[in-house]
Amino acid sequence: MDAISLMESAANGALIGLMYSLVAMGIVLIYKSSSVPNLAQGSMTMLAAYVVLAFANSAGAPIWAAISLAIITMFIIGLAIERVALRRLAGRPIIMILMMTLGLEIFLRAGSMTIWGGTTRPMNLGISDAPLFLGPLLINRAYAFGAVVTIAMFGFFVMFFRSRVGVVLRAISDDYTAAWSVGISVERGVALSWAMSAVVATIAGVLWSSVQGVDQSLAQLLLKGVTVAVLGGLDSIGGALLAGVLLGVVEGIASSVLDPLLGGASRDLVDAAMLILTILIRPHGLFGRHDIERV
Amino acid sequence: MNAPITAKILSLNNIEVVYDHVSLAIKGVSIDVPEGGMVALLGANGAGKSTTLKSISGLLTAERGEVRRGELQFRGQSIGGLMPQDRVKLGIAHVLEGRRVFEHLTPDENLIAASALHSRQDMNRNKDRVYSYFPRLHERRTVASGYLSGGEQQMLAIGRALMTQPKLLMLDEPSLGLAPFLVAEIFQILGRINRDEGLSILLVEQNAIAALEIVSHGYLIESGRIVMHDSAAALKKNPDIQEFYLGGAENKNFRDIKHYSRRKRWLT
Ligand SMILES: Nc1ncnc2c1ncn2[C@@H]1O[C@H](COP(=O)(O)OP(=O)(O)O)[C@@H](O)[C@H]1O
Ligand SMILES: [Mg+2]
Repeated sequence: MDAISLMESAANGALIGLMYSLVAMGIVLIYKSSSVPNLAQGSMTMLAAYVVLAFANSAGAPIWAAISLAIITMFIIGLAIERVALRRLAGRPIIMILMMTLGLEIFLRAGSMTIWGGTTRPMNLGISDAPLFLGPLLINRAYAFGAVVTIAMFGFFVMFFRSRVGVVLRAISDDYTAAWSVGISVERGVALSWAMSAVVATIAGVLWSSVQGVDQSLAQLLLKGVTVAVLGGLDSIGGALLAGVLLGVVEGIASSVLDPLLGGASRDLVDAAMLILTILIRPHGLFGRHDIERV
Repeated sequence: MNAPITAKILSLNNIEVVYDHVSLAIKGVSIDVPEGGMVALLGANGAGKSTTLKSISGLLTAERGEVRRGELQFRGQSIGGLMPQDRVKLGIAHVLEGRRVFEHLTPDENLIAASALHSRQDMNRNKDRVYSYFPRLHERRTVASGYLSGGEQQMLAIGRALMTQPKLLMLDEPSLGLAPFLVAEIFQILGRINRDEGLSILLVEQNAIAALEIVSHGYLIESGRIVMHDSAAALKKNPDIQEFYLGGAENKNFRDIKHYSRRKRWLT
């Protein structure tokens, strides 16, 4: 294994990692706005990809129009999830809400399979597959594009959480009752966070589909998303970004070194190790908020 | 404001609240707060003070509590069916027991979060007002609120409620856990807001000594029932009440009086 190919693995790993960050960002968004860890982010990503294809293939819309329509559709689906599944759980123990998101995960995945079947379908964004060189390193264009989009989304959400609406959402996640007491519509805030998260899922779904096609395996991005979100600190957008890069680089290097020895499972092992070690050693992640204990 | 003493901003008539469909927490509570007035609701731990405030602000639902019977009126309008945010919009602010500031937000962000119903212009004006009442909050405005002292957090909780431009401010045990000099400082500011702005105040306290210094009237609640209602001066002279807090050390409160709940003389 020479230095160049190791660096190449690391560089592409970093770009892939940023695309993991995008999935994690959806989880962080909801957590930061309502303290709910969303286990449905993976299947929301998958559902969104199918919705894009439905607009593109069945309705015959050009791909960028199909994506825009899917974004709107998913925004509405996000609002609907809050209204139907979560509203009556507001203020209930978090474990019930967590189980509800798990139920949603299964429902959305099974529902998509029922409607669209299990075969893998391509999604072509028109990104050329001509080689792209960064110095001596060969970079995958689709990953590079995904990374750029992720960084743009990151910038947007950092600004968003400093805005008045963003502050209100962070207040909700701190204390529902206190939020109600000052006239905040907690229900609407939570709905907005799910809607935004569903939009992020659409963008993640499109980017990942352009790399690996549209099928059930998109839902497994949940594992990457959860690992990155936890490693970054569940409520930190910047943490999700850096943790994604970290996970991507470690995965990239580990798989190029270890795959020949272990077979193809080294990426998942790296994932599992990261998640478990984070929870054992640093449960609030790299940049997550601590539970404040006053001296 | 010189509203006639008869005008009521808040009127509870025979309110009954149950939690979880079964447990009766308050049993026919009737309370009036005059427009621009300052009234205390006193009582021991578990008497039903917080429940009474939650029935007014509409925060019972999240705790599976429900107003089963009675009439809640704010300036003559029935508010029993309104969502919490609609009651805030009408001008009812509830400062929760235990302060409950948004700990991971700075004081400044706490105030911003409480302005969801207002324009940016109003928000900035309200912020200036809050900071002028509580200059210490201004000094600490960029620290995570979880790191503020208890007194500062209480000031923030009050300031945050003021951001909603209330007509009626309800406070749930603001003196809890605070040193006497801080209690005096905070109560003095409440008195000033009441006088200067005509803000009506309903003050829930176990610390009767401090509360009766600043209110004009007081209610005493015991086991979910109002057992006494009088002017602050009369309450201070009442032998029963005197026995509880004038007998010994300052700052003695109902919680410390072991035999208090056995005395049912008022219940007639
Ligand atoms: N969320 C709740 N669920 C069930 N019972 C409650 C709840 N909150 C309060 N209670 C009960 O209602 C009664 C009054 O409580 P509370 O209003 O908190 O009293 P106070 O504020 O005067 O200490 C108590 O017996 C208490 O146990
Ligand atoms: Mg209480």
